[in-house]
Amino acid sequence: MQCHGVCVQFGGLVAVQDVSFAVTRGEIFAVIGPNGAGKTTLFNAVTGIYPPTRGHVELHGHEQVEPVTPRVVMWVASAALAVAVGVVAAVNIAELWKAGVLDHYVYEQPFPWGSAAAGFGRAVAALGWIGGVLPFTIGAIIGGGAAWNHFSRARRASDHIARSGVARTFQNIRLFNELSLVQNVLVGMDARMRTGFFSALFRLPRFHSERRASHREAMELLAFVGLDGRADEAAGSLPYGLRRRLEIARALAGKPSLLLLDEPAAGMNPTEVGGLMAVIRRVRDRGVTVVLIEHHMKLVMGVSDKIHVLQHGRTIAEGTPEAIRTDARCIEAYLGSEEHG
Amino acid sequence: MRCRLGPISVLLLLAALVPVADLFLPPELALSEAVRTVCVYAILALGLNVVTGYAGLLNLGIAAFAAVGAYAFGILTCEIYPFQLGFWPALVLTLPIGALAGTILGAPTLGLRGDYLAIVTLGFGEIVQDVLKNLESITQGMQGINPLPAPSIGGQMWTADDERKWFYLVLGLLALMVAGVRNLERSRLGRAWFSIREDELASRAMGIRPERAKLVAFATGAALAAFAGALSASLLSSTGEPSNYDFQVSILALCIVIVGGIGSIAGVLLGALVMVGLNAIVLAKATAWMAAQGIGSQGNVLLSPNNWKFLIFGLALVIAVRVKPDGLLPPRLERGRA
Repeated sequence: MQCHGVCVQFGGLVAVQDVSFAVTRGEIFAVIGPNGAGKTTLFNAVTGIYPPTRGHVELHGHEQVEPVTPRVVMWVASAALAVAVGVVAAVNIAELWKAGVLDHYVYEQPFPWGSAAAGFGRAVAALGWIGGVLPFTIGAIIGGGAAWNHFSRARRASDHIARSGVARTFQNIRLFNELSLVQNVLVGMDARMRTGFFSALFRLPRFHSERRASHREAMELLAFVGLDGRADEAAGSLPYGLRRRLEIARALAGKPSLLLLDEPAAGMNPTEVGGLMAVIRRVRDRGVTVVLIEHHMKLVMGVSDKIHVLQHGRTIAEGTPEAIRTDARCIEAYLGSEEHG
Repeated sequence: MRCRLGPISVLLLLAALVPVADLFLPPELALSEAVRTVCVYAILALGLNVVTGYAGLLNLGIAAFAAVGAYAFGILTCEIYPFQLGFWPALVLTLPIGALAGTILGAPTLGLRGDYLAIVTLGFGEIVQDVLKNLESITQGMQGINPLPAPSIGGQMWTADDERKWFYLVLGLLALMVAGVRNLERSRLGRAWFSIREDELASRAMGIRPERAKLVAFATGAALAAFAGALSASLLSSTGEPSNYDFQVSILALCIVIVGGIGSIAGVLLGALVMVGLNAIVLAKATAWMAAQGIGSQGNVLLSPNNWKFLIFGLALVIAVRVKPDGLLPPRLERGRA
């Protein structure tokens, strides 16, 4: 993953300014900085929750934007056509109904489909400017415009980025509290599932095989983070430290190539932090690149391969844990300079 | 696999015994006709449960989709129109027609949440009624479309006297719908709906596409509502006037979902039994019984339980929500299968 000159601005407030870095596959990369330095905003920019004001984020060498495929073009065109036809029909509905049905149907006589269709066709042809062309054009513009607008907003949205292999956890844990642990993990797996509406509705064989496989995998993931004993409990009933683990399991369920952890150790006691470090290392050993935001220095120094330091939205240093530990500017950012005491 | 009777099957099995019970009850207390109404409302509320209970989208216009279903059924079957399909094909067709109507309303309103969506759906409900009233050349305006066909199995069309057949038909269709909704609930799609209800931002970050899932929820709910509308039209042999599908009906469906337990199928069934049953069974039967005994027939309005309907209804709502805020039968969590 690479960030090129990412800036995020909220009105006049510049939260992140010109931050660039590159994360190599398979490493653990930490982003640290004092509170309000823009770390979480950076994560939100990477995962598409806020689009970066300037700059861009690349994954596997290209930006994650849903491409304009023929399918998208067809989808937009058919939305335009459908709305256009709908508007024409709505404007003329009584007239068209009369031409197509009432004029041809005699009670209890067989319906002359052929001549009715011909009459309907003549009525459509006779619509003219006001009844036909104008509503059609307006409908096509509204339908096509709305569909395109919807697509262009969705193409950089976080669901697309998540589907291309970026998973994350949240600083203020965002689990689905009323769902069970298993369900939480299964939601994370959704992007990899293929069961459609009808195979779920009729429980076709495909549904069963996918359900078996996904449930097995979800239980394995829960075991991986040490939660397999509580799979059927509601996520909201878990103690704080375990919720973080569940969030990691949920994020891993999508088989991401990049995992973003936003303050995973916040509020944990030293034993829990130790367990978390082990989990993070094991995640890396599965071949997942990990980027983490953290204040807990023991954890950061213990697991990271590389550290990036932010202050007031700007990069102030980047390097190995040893280099950062002795970097004067980082010490100043955290502890304050001598003059300010 | 464990084989255990859930509350859903218990309720459906109990309902299946109603015509048997009717054999022992005096005719003015016969239940099966009233339970039929309960079943139709249960299908309607099942549809609302998908939209509001699962996906968390407050929909105050579900009756409009019932109207779409009823009128589509009417136009497809009634002999004053040229299409004249039979009962079964028309009933099945109302599902895609309802889904289409749901998509048409859902697509432009996808970005709205909570209160805003509620207002849009409320407006939609009013628009549909007005259209049905004013488009007289197609919908017959205030007269409604009639007569509508009844199902015919084995060549002979049923009449109103085939009460038991009707009853089992409606109950069977309800069971079918319950099975369908349950299958969706326990699938990838159901989980996507729940996750959006719980936290849309987090579910998006997990790769769920909320717009798509919401649209499917809207279409599914609308299809079920349209099905219920068509079924009730067939039971009455008429679509009735457009105001039969007004805000009251939507609110009653919402009450069923809330009292029964938001997001719980068993809750919807029990809720329908309590809310509609109170009206159609307890009060109506009490009135009929009192009339048969000669009590309260002297024009004293206070003596007829039917006139207390709304007071009792309101009180029951207040008590139900106060005592059991999660509903009578709150939803249960899906279990992992290792």
